[in-house]
Amino acid sequence: MRRWLLLRLLWCVLTLFGITFVTFVVMDLAPVDRAEREVTQATQDGTLPDTLLREAAVLRLRVRYGMVDPETKLPRPLWQRYAAWLSNAAVLQLAGPDADNAAFWRRLGEAAPVTLLLGGLSLLCVFGLGVGIGCWLGVAAGSKRDRVASGVLLTLVGMPEFLLATLLPLVFGSLWLHWLPTSGLRSPGANEWSFAWQLVDFARHLVLPVLVMAIGPTVMVARFVRDSVARAAAAPFVTNLHALGIEPEVVRWRLLRHGLAPVATLAGNLLPMLVGGSIVVENLFSLDGLGHLAFDAVMQQDQAIVMALVLVTSIVTLLSLLVSDLLHRVVDPRVRLQP
Amino acid sequence: MTTTIVSEPLPATRPRRGVVWWSPFCCLGLVLLVGVFAPLLANDVPLLARVDGKWSMPAVADLFGEAPAGPHDGTWKQWWSRLGAGNEDFGIMPPWPYGPTAIDAARFGQKPCLAHPLGNDDTGRDVLARLVHGAGTVVWLGLPAVLLAALVGAALGAWAGLAGGLVDGIVLRLIELSLCFPMLLFLLFAAAFFGTSPFGMVAVLALMFWTSFARIVRGEMLSLRERDYVLVARGLGLGPWRIFARHLLPQVRTHVLMTAAFCMAAAIVAESTLSYLGVGGGGGAVASWGAMLRQGSERAVVGSWHLWLFPALAVMVVVVACHLVADRLRPRVDA
Repeated sequence: MRRWLLLRLLWCVLTLFGITFVTFVVMDLAPVDRAEREVTQATQDGTLPDTLLREAAVLRLRVRYGMVDPETKLPRPLWQRYAAWLSNAAVLQLAGPDADNAAFWRRLGEAAPVTLLLGGLSLLCVFGLGVGIGCWLGVAAGSKRDRVASGVLLTLVGMPEFLLATLLPLVFGSLWLHWLPTSGLRSPGANEWSFAWQLVDFARHLVLPVLVMAIGPTVMVARFVRDSVARAAAAPFVTNLHALGIEPEVVRWRLLRHGLAPVATLAGNLLPMLVGGSIVVENLFSLDGLGHLAFDAVMQQDQAIVMALVLVTSIVTLLSLLVSDLLHRVVDPRVRLQP
Repeated sequence: MTTTIVSEPLPATRPRRGVVWWSPFCCLGLVLLVGVFAPLLANDVPLLARVDGKWSMPAVADLFGEAPAGPHDGTWKQWWSRLGAGNEDFGIMPPWPYGPTAIDAARFGQKPCLAHPLGNDDTGRDVLARLVHGAGTVVWLGLPAVLLAALVGAALGAWAGLAGGLVDGIVLRLIELSLCFPMLLFLLFAAAFFGTSPFGMVAVLALMFWTSFARIVRGEMLSLRERDYVLVARGLGLGPWRIFARHLLPQVRTHVLMTAAFCMAAAIVAESTLSYLGVGGGGGAVASWGAMLRQGSERAVVGSWHLWLFPALAVMVVVVACHLVADRLRPRVDA
């Protein structure tokens, strides 16, 4: 067990190096580099009137972003920049020079709670509802209830997040019912309300984003659990228990534990799905979370912020995979842990 | 209480092989065909034209690249509407004679009517023609990505499952590594900076999907290689390649097809999500369902329901068809 954990953690560290390196290379593949793009933008906006200054401005930005050597003014090779990034990341200086770095941590501090709240509520919904519905259908596999509900779930699978994010606000928000707000987290002027009303307002703003984010994974988990429980229900040991005259209720509980074992593995895959979902949802409901931050950073080719977010999310993903493996082992003792 | 709940092996919820069973396959096939031949189906240039005694096929040229400019310094549409009796010129228009980018200034945001059953968008472009051309993403983005992923994934998975040992370990590690990548960010990046050519997105999608193929094929190979008939084949002195091609590969065909259907759905969702967010050129397609949906949802408040309803239906139908195809193939996989 200890050896397994040690090997596993070592592998996690190696994976982290792999992920950050590949992301670094990918960010470098863009046809135009960030400094040049920003200067072009500034020229178009008129904030950089003199085209003669262009070369100097590009060079200055390149030095700032660490693309060229500050002394010799020569472009630095990829491996040198990656090594520089690594040594900065080791001391948590994730976003370039000091001022930029402080600003980045401030933004991260503002964005992270929003995403954590959304993700946490969605996870609750996914596991509560998804596992519940899955069990409810799985123990009655083949019945009318199962057939109807499975059909509905299959249709919902075909609903991509962005489709839900279009339809639900239309129905509940701006077009027909006018029940729920469709953007932001607080109503304008909410600061003057009493605390309880502010809380209600906040909760109302959260309903649609959480719903949009949770429906896809919930349906996936429900379908998975249903199949797994149905398969467990068809196992010989269940027939045996029935033949022994055990109460059907008791048998059903036995079978649930059996059928729920693979869910632990699923938990590890859910996190990347939710991270992806947060990019879509935060963009459409204009919430300032990590997903929005990541989207803006990729669009602006901000290598530092993208790298920082990739580092954070991959650490969380790797840890959750580790935990899900351990959980699987706890739920199903037959599983052996292999490095 | 009776104990009849739990005796069936696996529920027989799937319909028998009839029209209903085949319908998702047909639907998907139809969408693929429409996607490939979109320029011949909905276009504002003629399929076959005879101008001043010279024959040409502008729509076919559009299929392989760029349609030639219209004759007599006008568009093909103007030329076609002037055709009349006693004229030597002759032309056959596609079944739906509207192009995906042709602007009709008289019909900005018009609701569906007989002439345009799905209506026109805010710039007067025909929605049906745009939907037909949007099917191109399924073909030119989804299909290459899934094929590439299936090829690489199945090959590596089979190698890992059959060779075992070090190869197996390396492939498993590679799978784990790919699962941890922030693929949506890569996809966003590929769409933003290489959006007009589909290669970047195809590469990222293939990188996303190959693990599914590798895992399922590897798992099957692990159990297949111990089967008696494989041992017999080996005992008869058949070479490893022959055993692989004749006795192992056919066994995983259904598994690969099922995974491909799932991945196709994921590819369509990914592309339309990105074009919905306004990133990239829809993998080089003229029109993209996601972008149409975005435009429609912005116009929904002023009552243009047809602009969001039809692209939403298109995405849903294709994605559900993919999932149904996978579902239809599954009983054979489970058995």
